[in-house]
Amino acid sequence: MKIQVKSNRVLNFVFVTLVILIGTTGSINRVSASGSQKTEKEISKATNQSSPKEPTAKAVASDSKPMPVYGHWKNFTTKDGLPSDKAYAVRIDGNRVLVGTHDGLAVYENEKWRTYTTKDGLPHNGIVSIDVSELTGDIWIGTLGGLCRWSGGKFENFTQLNSGMPNDLVYGVCCVGKDVWVATGGGAGHYDTNLKKWEIFTEKNAPMHEPWTYGVSAGDGKIFIAAWGGGVIEYTTGTKKFKDYTDPDGEMEIDLLPNDGPVHDITTGTSWADGKLWVSSYFGLCNYDGVKWKGYFDHDSGLASNFINFIRAEGRIAFMCTDQGLSSSDGTNWVTYKKNENGADGKAIIITNGVKKEIPLSPSISHNFIIGVDADKNFIWVATSSGVSRGELLK
Amino acid sequence: MKISAKKIWILGILVVLGLIIYFPGHKLARAHVNYRTGVEDHPLLCLDCHLYIQSESPITKMINEDYYSPINMAVSKDGSRLYVVAQEGNALITVDTEQNKVIGKIGVGLLPHSVVLSYDGQKAYVSNQWSDNVSVIDLAASEVVDTLQTANGPSGLAISADGKMLYAVNTYSSNVSVIDLQTGEEQKRLDVGNNPTGIQLSPEKKLLFVTSRRANIAPYGEPVRTDMTLINDSSARNSGFRTLESAHMAENVAFTPTGDLAIVTLMRPKNLVPSIQVERGFMMNHGIGIFEQKQNGRIIQLMLDEPNAYYADPFDVIITPDGKKAFVSHAGVDCISVLDMDSIRALINSSTPETLKTYENNLGVSSRFVIKRIPTGANPKGLALSPDGKKLYVAEQLQDRISVISTENLEILTTIDLGGPEKITVSRQGRRLFANAGHTFQNQYSCYTCHPDYHEDGLVYNMASKDMGRNLTNTQSLRDIGKTAPFKWNGKNQTVFKQDGIRFSTVLTRTEQFSYPDLDAIASFIMTGIQYPPNLQHNPTGELTEAQLRGKEIFERSVDNSGKEIPVGNRCITCHPAPYYTNKMLRDVGTLAATDDSIRFDTPHLNNIYASAPYLHDGRAATLEEIWTKYSPYDKHGVANDLSKIELNEMIEFLKTLSSPDYTESLKKEKHTENTSN
Repeated sequence: MKIQVKSNRVLNFVFVTLVILIGTTGSINRVSASGSQKTEKEISKATNQSSPKEPTAKAVASDSKPMPVYGHWKNFTTKDGLPSDKAYAVRIDGNRVLVGTHDGLAVYENEKWRTYTTKDGLPHNGIVSIDVSELTGDIWIGTLGGLCRWSGGKFENFTQLNSGMPNDLVYGVCCVGKDVWVATGGGAGHYDTNLKKWEIFTEKNAPMHEPWTYGVSAGDGKIFIAAWGGGVIEYTTGTKKFKDYTDPDGEMEIDLLPNDGPVHDITTGTSWADGKLWVSSYFGLCNYDGVKWKGYFDHDSGLASNFINFIRAEGRIAFMCTDQGLSSSDGTNWVTYKKNENGADGKAIIITNGVKKEIPLSPSISHNFIIGVDADKNFIWVATSSGVSRGELLK
Repeated sequence: MKISAKKIWILGILVVLGLIIYFPGHKLARAHVNYRTGVEDHPLLCLDCHLYIQSESPITKMINEDYYSPINMAVSKDGSRLYVVAQEGNALITVDTEQNKVIGKIGVGLLPHSVVLSYDGQKAYVSNQWSDNVSVIDLAASEVVDTLQTANGPSGLAISADGKMLYAVNTYSSNVSVIDLQTGEEQKRLDVGNNPTGIQLSPEKKLLFVTSRRANIAPYGEPVRTDMTLINDSSARNSGFRTLESAHMAENVAFTPTGDLAIVTLMRPKNLVPSIQVERGFMMNHGIGIFEQKQNGRIIQLMLDEPNAYYADPFDVIITPDGKKAFVSHAGVDCISVLDMDSIRALINSSTPETLKTYENNLGVSSRFVIKRIPTGANPKGLALSPDGKKLYVAEQLQDRISVISTENLEILTTIDLGGPEKITVSRQGRRLFANAGHTFQNQYSCYTCHPDYHEDGLVYNMASKDMGRNLTNTQSLRDIGKTAPFKWNGKNQTVFKQDGIRFSTVLTRTEQFSYPDLDAIASFIMTGIQYPPNLQHNPTGELTEAQLRGKEIFERSVDNSGKEIPVGNRCITCHPAPYYTNKMLRDVGTLAATDDSIRFDTPHLNNIYASAPYLHDGRAATLEEIWTKYSPYDKHGVANDLSKIELNEMIEFLKTLSSPDYTESLKKEKHTENTSN
C-alpha cells in the first residue's frame, strides 16, 4: 500500500488525532520500516541481557563522551495530582516543570502539582506543546484551541479568530528571541512579540505540500518546520528565504536509498542542537549536519521504534519519543528506556559502539507510548500516554 | 464741502444694494448657523467658525500660540534644580528653585512625557512619546548627548537599582523597554497591562510597579478590570499582575517610604449602568488604589470624591519622605487633595474586608483622610517634592506654570511662570474647558475623562436613549475629527457645535449647557487642536511592506477571489476612501443589536485605527480580526469571507498603517529632503 501524501486534510487530521489521542494501549503492534511486525515482547527477548545493577556513566562510555543514562525513575499520575494521565508535552523551567496534559496544564514545583485549565484562562485544556522564552521568561503554550502566553501569572490567548494566528491546533511552539514560532494544523507562523504582529506560512507562500505542520525548532539562524507531507521546511531568518528538504526517493513505505535525505516526507518533529538537525517521522529518524543526511531505523540502530511522536535534541544527544519507549542517541550510541509489558519495571537497553547491554529499571518509565520529553543537567522528564516520568542522571 | 448729486446717487444705490444683499444674506447666514449648531439662537459670529476652526488657515496659525504645557518633573538631589517636561514645548525646562526662575531650556523629541535623573545626578532621561525614543541629557552641558530607541509611545521612566538599566513604559504598544544604559541598546520588551504610563521602583529596590490606564478588553457586561504589572528588577522579567476591579485610568504610582504600600490614582467608571444615572451622582468616581506589598496583600480602593463634589481626573500621586502625607493632583477640577496617611492606615487596618469593599463606592469616607483641597492653576498634572519634602511642585499644564506648595502649612508659596504665551487663545480656552469637569453635574467628569489624551478610554457605555434602548456605545477617538462629520455612531450631529450643544448637557453633563463663547471655544479646540500621534509602529517610513501592499490591494479590490465582481456598495474602499477612510455616510454593516435603536451607523474614520480597540459601535470586536472572523458572517461589512487567513492578515496589516494626512505628508517631505540632499 502506498500512502497518498496528497490525501485530504480531514483524513490527515483524523489519522494524527487517532495516533496521539487513542494510541494509548500498552502493547501496540507496529509496522517497521521493513514491513515486519514485532511485539514489545519479541523486542524484549531479542535484547535480553540482564544486569543486576543500574549502570554508571563509565559503564556506557563510548570512545568519546559517555551517553547519559537516567535511572531512579519516578512516575506521576492522577493519583499524584496530575489532572490527566494523558500527557502530551513537558518542559523544564528552572525549578519547576510544566506538563501539558489532556485536561490542562500541570506545574510541578516544590514537589507538588498544580493544575491550570480554561477556568484559569487557558484557551483549551488539551495542551500539546510548551516553550519558555529565554528573553522574557514568558511561557508559551500550544493547545488544541489556540496559543497562550503565560506571563506574570496571566494567560493571554491568541486564536485564529482574534489574531493573525494561522490555526488553533498548535502542535509545536518555539521561542526564538522576540519571536514565537508555531506549527499548527493550518500552517506555521511567527508572532513578533515586539511589534505584536503575525506572519504566517502555508502552502500558498512557502514550499509546503499542505498547511499541516507538526513541529518547529530553531538553530543556527534558521527555523525548521516539520511539515506533513513536505519533509522539513527550513526558513532562514536573516534572508527570509525558504528551503525544503524532502525524501529524494519519494518512497512512502521504505527508505529506498539510505542517507539520501529525510527518511520520509511525513515528518513529526525537528530539533537542532550541536550543529545537527534531527528529524523525526512515523517511519524512522534522521539527522543532517549541513552536508549529509543520515537515517536511523529500529532494525539497524537502537531506536525503539520507527514511529516517533516527538524529538528533542539537547547538546549532542537527541531524545526520541516513540510508541515503544524513549530512545536517546548521539548518532552512534543508543540508550532506550522501555517498560515491561506487565508491572512497573522495565529496562534500559544500551548500545555502546555496537555492543548491546540491558539493565533493569525498577520502576521504569510510566508507559511506552511517549509523546514529550525534556532534559536538563540532572533530570529527564517524559510525557507518556499514561503518566509523567522523571529520571535522574546516573553519575 | 459740496457733495455732488452724482455722488449722492451712487451712495444711495450702494445703500439700496447693501440692504438688498444684507437681509437675504442675513437670513441665509442665520439658516446656515442654525443648521450648523442645531439651535436658533447661536450668535452670528462668522469668525468663530471661519477663523478659529480652520486648522490650516495661515491666519489661524498666526492667531494660535505655542504653549509649553508642563506635564512631569524631577528634582535634583540637592533640590536646587527642578526639571520640567514641557509636553508641547518639546523641551526640558530647568528651573532654579531658589530664585524660582527658568534658567534653561533643552530641546528634546516630540511630545515628551516624563523625566528621570541618573543616580549620580549627571544625566536626565526624557521620554519622547511621539518620537519613540528617550533623550539622554548631560545636565552640566545642558545638551542632548544620546537618543535611545524604545517601543511605541514611551512615557514613564525608571532606572534599575544598580543604575545599569532604564525601563521605559511604552503607552501605545503596552510594553516596557528594558534598555542597557552602557550600550544604549534596547535589550527586550516586556508586555505589561493595557496602555501603561507610570512606573516606580520600590524602596527596597526589588520590584517595579507599572500602572495601566485602560482596562483589559472584555465583552460588555463584564466588570472593568485593569492590570498593574510587577517587574522583578534583578531578572528584568514580569513577576506578576495585580488587578484593579471596576476601576481604570491608573496614571501614576507612589510607594510609601517603608515600601509597605503602593498607591495609584484611579477612576471607577459606571459604564454598565445607563448614562441617565449622572444626575444621581453615579457615573464616574475618582480615588486611589492601595496595594499592600506583602504576600496576599489587599487591594483597597478609597474614593477622594465627596457626596456632592467630585474630584475628577486624578493624575499623579506623591508621598512625603516621612510618609505622613500624600498629595493627589486632580487635573479635572484644578486642585490638589492632601491625604493624611496615618488616617488611611488607621482606616484600612480597622476595617473588615466587607467594610473596605463598601468604601469603594462610599463618597463619605474621604472626609476621614482628606485634610485639605488646595486650589491650583488650570489642569494640574505631575507632582514633585523637594528632597526635604517641604516643597511640593505642581505642573499646571494648561497654565504653563509651576505652583510651589508648602507641605507643612499646605498653602501655595509661589508660582513659577515658565515663560509661555500670556495670551489664552480661543483653542486654548477650549482645551481648558475640555479638560475641566466644572461643567458636569457635581464635577463628575470632564470631556477628558472619557477621552484621555483627547482620544478614547477603550470602554463601552450604556447610552440609554429616550426610547430606553441600551444603545451600547464604544467611545470614539477625537483625534483629527475636524473633517469627518457627521458625529456620533448614528451620525445625528452634523457639527461639533451640535454635538457639544444643548443635547450634550441634556444627555451627558446634566447641567447648564455651555455658553456660546464656551461652545465655540471647545469646538475650536476639538476641530483644530487634536492631532493623531505619528504612526511610528506600523508606518514609520510611509513606505508599505510587500505584505501591506498586498493588503492594500485587497482593501481596494473590486472582484473577490472567485473572480466575481463585488457590488460597489460592499467594497471596503467605497465606504472607507482616503484620506480619512470614511465616506461620511451611514451604513448597515449587519451589527445592529436587538437592544439598539434602529439606526444605521456613521462610517468611522480609520486613520490610526490600530490604537482604537475595541471595534464596532458597541465594542464587540476585541481586535480588528474579529470584525471579519466573528461579526460579518454574511459579508455585510465588506466582502471578506473569501479571504484566506494570510490575505486577511495582510489586509489588517495595511489597515494598521493608515495614518493622518499630516503625518503622511510629513513623511513625504522628509523623504523628498533626504533624496534632494543625497
